[in-house]
Amino acid sequence: MSNKPYRVPTAGTGGTVGRVIDRSQMIDFQWNGRKYAGYEGDTLASALFANGIRVVGRSFKYHRPRGVLGFGSNEPNALVGVGSGNRQEPNLRATQVELHAGLTASAQNAWPSVEFDVGQVNSLASRLFPSGFYYKTFMWPQSFWKSVYEPIIRRAAGLGVAPEGPDPDTYEQFNCHCDVLVVGGGAAGLAAAEAASANGARVIIADENPQFGGISDIAGGTIGGEAQSKWIAATAASLAKSGNVHVMNRTTVVGHYHHNYVMMFERVAEHDPNLLSSGAPRHRLWKVRAKQVIIASGAIERPIPFANNDRPGVMLSTSVRAHLARYGVTPGYRGVVFTNNDDAYRTATDLLAAGVPVGRIIDVRAEPSGPLIEAAKSAGIEISAGSAICGLNAKSGGKHITSVKMAPYSTSGRVSGAEEEIACDFVAVSGGWNPVVHLHCHNGGKLDFDQKLQSFVPKPHADPVVTIGAANGTFGLGDLMTEAYAAGDKAGKAATGSKAAKAAAPKAASETEGNLEAIWFAPATGKYNEGNKHFIDYQNDVTAADLELAQREGYESVEHTKRYTTLGMATDQGKTSNIIGLGVLSGSTGKPIPEIGTTTFRPPYTPFSFGSIAGTQVGKLFHVVRRTALFDWHAEAGATWEPIGDWRRAYCYPKGEEDKHAAINREILTVRNKVGLLDASTLGKIEIKGPDAGALLDRVYTNKFSTLKPGRGRYGLMMNEMGFLFDDGVTVCLGENHYLMHTTSGGAERIVEWLEEWLQTEWTDMKVFVTAVTEQWSQYGVAGPKARALLEKLEGDVDFGADALSFMGMTEGTLAGTRVRVFRISFSGELSYEIAVPSHNGRAFWEKLLEAGEEFGVEPYGTEALHVLRAEKGFIAIGDETDGTVTPLDLGLNWAVSKKKADYLGKRALDLPHLAAENRKELVGLLTEDPNEVLPDGAYAVSEVSEKLPMDMIGQVTSTYWSPTLNRSIAMALVKQGRAKMGQKITFPVADGKVVRAEIVDPVFYDKEGERQNV
Amino acid sequence: MSEALIITPLYDREAPGGLAIIMTEVVDLGMIDLRGLPKDKKFMDAAKAALGIALPTAPRTSAGMGDIVCLWMSPDQWLITCPRKAVGGLLAKLNASLEGIFSLAVDMSDARTIIRLEGDRVRETLMKGSSIDFTQSGYEAGTVRRMLFGEIAAMVHVVSEKPDVFHLMVFRSYAHHAWDWIEATAMKGSEVEFLSSAEAPPVV
Amino acid sequence: MLVITCPVCGVEGEEADFHCGGEGHIARPATENPDGISDDAQRDYMFMRKNPKGVHFERWRCDRGCGKWFHACRDTVSMQIFGYYGITQRPPAALLKKADPLWQAHFEAAKKPSAKKAKS
Ligand SMILES: [Zn+2]
Repeated sequence: MSNKPYRVPTAGTGGTVGRVIDRSQMIDFQWNGRKYAGYEGDTLASALFANGIRVVGRSFKYHRPRGVLGFGSNEPNALVGVGSGNRQEPNLRATQVELHAGLTASAQNAWPSVEFDVGQVNSLASRLFPSGFYYKTFMWPQSFWKSVYEPIIRRAAGLGVAPEGPDPDTYEQFNCHCDVLVVGGGAAGLAAAEAASANGARVIIADENPQFGGISDIAGGTIGGEAQSKWIAATAASLAKSGNVHVMNRTTVVGHYHHNYVMMFERVAEHDPNLLSSGAPRHRLWKVRAKQVIIASGAIERPIPFANNDRPGVMLSTSVRAHLARYGVTPGYRGVVFTNNDDAYRTATDLLAAGVPVGRIIDVRAEPSGPLIEAAKSAGIEISAGSAICGLNAKSGGKHITSVKMAPYSTSGRVSGAEEEIACDFVAVSGGWNPVVHLHCHNGGKLDFDQKLQSFVPKPHADPVVTIGAANGTFGLGDLMTEAYAAGDKAGKAATGSKAAKAAAPKAASETEGNLEAIWFAPATGKYNEGNKHFIDYQNDVTAADLELAQREGYESVEHTKRYTTLGMATDQGKTSNIIGLGVLSGSTGKPIPEIGTTTFRPPYTPFSFGSIAGTQVGKLFHVVRRTALFDWHAEAGATWEPIGDWRRAYCYPKGEEDKHAAINREILTVRNKVGLLDASTLGKIEIKGPDAGALLDRVYTNKFSTLKPGRGRYGLMMNEMGFLFDDGVTVCLGENHYLMHTTSGGAERIVEWLEEWLQTEWTDMKVFVTAVTEQWSQYGVAGPKARALLEKLEGDVDFGADALSFMGMTEGTLAGTRVRVFRISFSGELSYEIAVPSHNGRAFWEKLLEAGEEFGVEPYGTEALHVLRAEKGFIAIGDETDGTVTPLDLGLNWAVSKKKADYLGKRALDLPHLAAENRKELVGLLTEDPNEVLPDGAYAVSEVSEKLPMDMIGQVTSTYWSPTLNRSIAMALVKQGRAKMGQKITFPVADGKVVRAEIVDPVFYDKEGERQNV
Repeated sequence: MSEALIITPLYDREAPGGLAIIMTEVVDLGMIDLRGLPKDKKFMDAAKAALGIALPTAPRTSAGMGDIVCLWMSPDQWLITCPRKAVGGLLAKLNASLEGIFSLAVDMSDARTIIRLEGDRVRETLMKGSSIDFTQSGYEAGTVRRMLFGEIAAMVHVVSEKPDVFHLMVFRSYAHHAWDWIEATAMKGSEVEFLSSAEAPPVV
Repeated sequence: MLVITCPVCGVEGEEADFHCGGEGHIARPATENPDGISDDAQRDYMFMRKNPKGVHFERWRCDRGCGKWFHACRDTVSMQIFGYYGITQRPPAALLKKADPLWQAHFEAAKKPSAKKAKS
């Protein structure tokens, strides 16, 4: 088949053809691997038409050849892949892709080529693909689900090809507020923006197309006595210049949410490689808070389904007209217009004026009349009123239309009588307009059915959002301008409180148009079978017959029918098909459309890029990494990392050929035998001061703190009101009514908020201030028998003597030239100190510690060694031994749970029956029978191992390690009534049928008397 | 205390070429976090006596005189900035003045870092990471605003206007994240020019 | 995403800048009388919530701003917010009138002599 070019010459058209292309600028591009040329200003769709290419893809289910149907974002068929490699982007609408030099694009859903497609076998076998096909076919046997059905469905279900590598372009997001946001830059939107702006409002007006003006270039009518286009150009220019209106083209408003939160997708640079390489982001996602939203999103033309209405060359009437006016292209050499309204007559006269013959205007209405009809008649176009297309002939596998068949049509919906065949190679079809109510509905807006339009229009919205113009069902230009000015003025005043005089709307007028006649379906005269499909949803290949079958099978609700047939569920979300689908359902059920109802409109209005959703948060900004002052030092020392919250902590420091296990064992033995250094800076630190500081501590800890003397510390437990343990740490008394609380690393922010919450909301009479100082201080553990010797080498005024600074003591002073707080606390059971220094001094001080410790064999140790050291001592860790359902009593921490204090958080809950019950899980130690066997973390203990599942689970491992100190494995576990089972063996079925047996023992494995820390 | 020991969180960072704003880490400012009740006259007087200026009580404002600037953080919390070298002395003076008065003053000089942002594009750069619209009225010189920036807690202080100078304050552990974020969003070529006079858009 | 205004610092911000603390006006029995709390009363305090479909009183915190807690009156269906008041205050009469009947009953009961504090 030869590809004939369909570019219309400008000569003789009075400059009304090809308005947005620049015929002096040729642009080369590639389509399906072949080189073509178009003009600057072309879309991919128009450039393909110009090159005579009408088949741009294959349909999803039947793989039928498909061409362009619409224009802009309403296009259901022409989904293409653009770019290649890591810039490949699937599922773009060819009608929106702007041509630029070097553009490469290809058809989707076609293998091996769009011209010859293997999947078209589906089409021949289409009796096998009724509605609900997937539900009916991929059912049994169950063994087929994974191995047979899933691969088939996955292969068939994909649309387009994903990019091959990381996206090289940048994306970003932008947050702003405005007084009035206007959606849509057609006549109504611009008028509303102008009226709002006249009140001094901050206005954003966004339009999804490259050009402003909506369909003003093809809609006829005058504003201020001149062609619409003139007013559009002048108004858009003056708004852009004003400085209080942000005018945005290539920007789709994709979602409207609560409290007028609006999401806009701006295609900043994808249309222009030069812009992209100059640093502009490819896309930008706008998050806008608008005081007032005005929706002027226009209307989408709907087709009239007729037999084989999906053949390439069948196009929406406005699409034909817009392609001609803007790009100077037509879908063919001889057209037929099929309509139920006056507007399509404009298409016929425009075509003829551009030198494209129109074989017939086929109008379903019996007696169309009015100025547009008269104009067509006087131009010499033949009109067949009271008729409908009842068939379509095509050659080359359906790719090339040769004629349509027409027959008399009556309002009862019948075609009968003599058929007539009219030669043509394209059809412009118009079935009326559907207001774009999507945004109005995203956030709960309701709809009314408009009888005159035979479509839905918005009801008033609960939020400050109003819909105007065609989107509100207002089509006459005069009415539309009056409505738009009033809405813009009202919104501007509501947002700003302005009292400015209302800007007068310019006089506008358009030709009067007669009423449309509802038609949802033009029946075929032939046999109603697979050769005569009436497509409703082009993208998902849903036909009128599918909808009727669903009805017969009992799918009454439109929501069910939608899911069963997939009507409106494709990437275009039924922009051209939903209302027709409802019309067909109305016909087959006998219920009026409003009773059938609509399906839900959900964001986004059109698909937008994942890149813009990720925005800046890619690569190193994907997620926060919090660094201690030693981050670089740890990295230089070869640390492996453990993420704890957003922090990166050193897990261990392998040396040379050492693996992690060897490094951890070495670090543990260094602490037990020499001295080790730990970066404990992530611990939460909170200063608490005020007359009631002690009383507050008594209320939030399970044990008593108000008796603590300055310079002394105490280990405390915190419960929530449910009685569950959720944080622990040492709090020290800094002075009278002045304390420093330590929390877990994970609890640092949470606990300060917890204290604030109780102070602000419950104990409002307490005079206490709490201030988080976590990051002010870098804190280093110095642990091991040589800890004191190391610290005493540093110059300063701190006395580390056993009596001067005894266990659980604290002091402040100067050490190695730095202000320090010294705490004698131990999480390893060894002689141990924690030294806090101002963070900016952190690294220098750490290096001094290493230097001083060199002679003692000092080494840094990481978080894993820390955990093994504490587990050897039977110390609990929040998050290991606790999981939000564990009380201090479960853990045997009764000594720290006050019986005397009248009230503290969680106290009352401990007496509730489920917490006071006998059969709770209790913390115990475990020694495996085989000392070399380390139990898996979280392993379940069962009362009895059996083949039959489930087994009776009686507990779980909470901490489990290899102890180099004891040269065997150790573990802690929560076991039902565990403390009564000392000495008993319990069993753990682990992976691969293996069973591990372990003895229940005291959880303190090492230095039971605690002598090592008290030297 | 030896100044040579001080290593600020962004000691190894330098702004790359091609930024639409000027970005530097402020290394010579110290910070004191002060808590007290504004309705407690004794507290307000004692603070004023030590600082030389009255603490601002209007939300999101600041007050400054000479080297000392007080930023409103909360109805009972202020952040005082002063030269880093002067923090020890000022804190001692505050504590002496506030003796016996319900209050809490702590040195936070090392808890946060301050990133100084300068230029016409500062406001919209911040709008790429924060839900706040800094182009609205209410963000004149002296304004203080705490916020969520990207994923992190941050605070801005509008130091001066024309040209805009902002201090972005973040906890030290997040300093690299904040710096990286601004580098990524302040590149030339990515200007939004929100609500500025523009050329006419193309029309159909 | 809601827009919330902090009545303490006056900041108008995104929902993400705030933290919702759930239903307001939940009295903590132990604060008044730590010894005489029945299991049922403790259960109600811990778990039982009004959760109305309609106008509700909630606690919110100015999480990324001044850090203070406050009350908000919000319609759980339409998401409209009708007003704010202090964390230690009872709802203003005009808001209480709008609220779900469960709330009117709550404050009727709280008026009885045993209730000492306005805040619960
Ligand atoms: Zn606030």
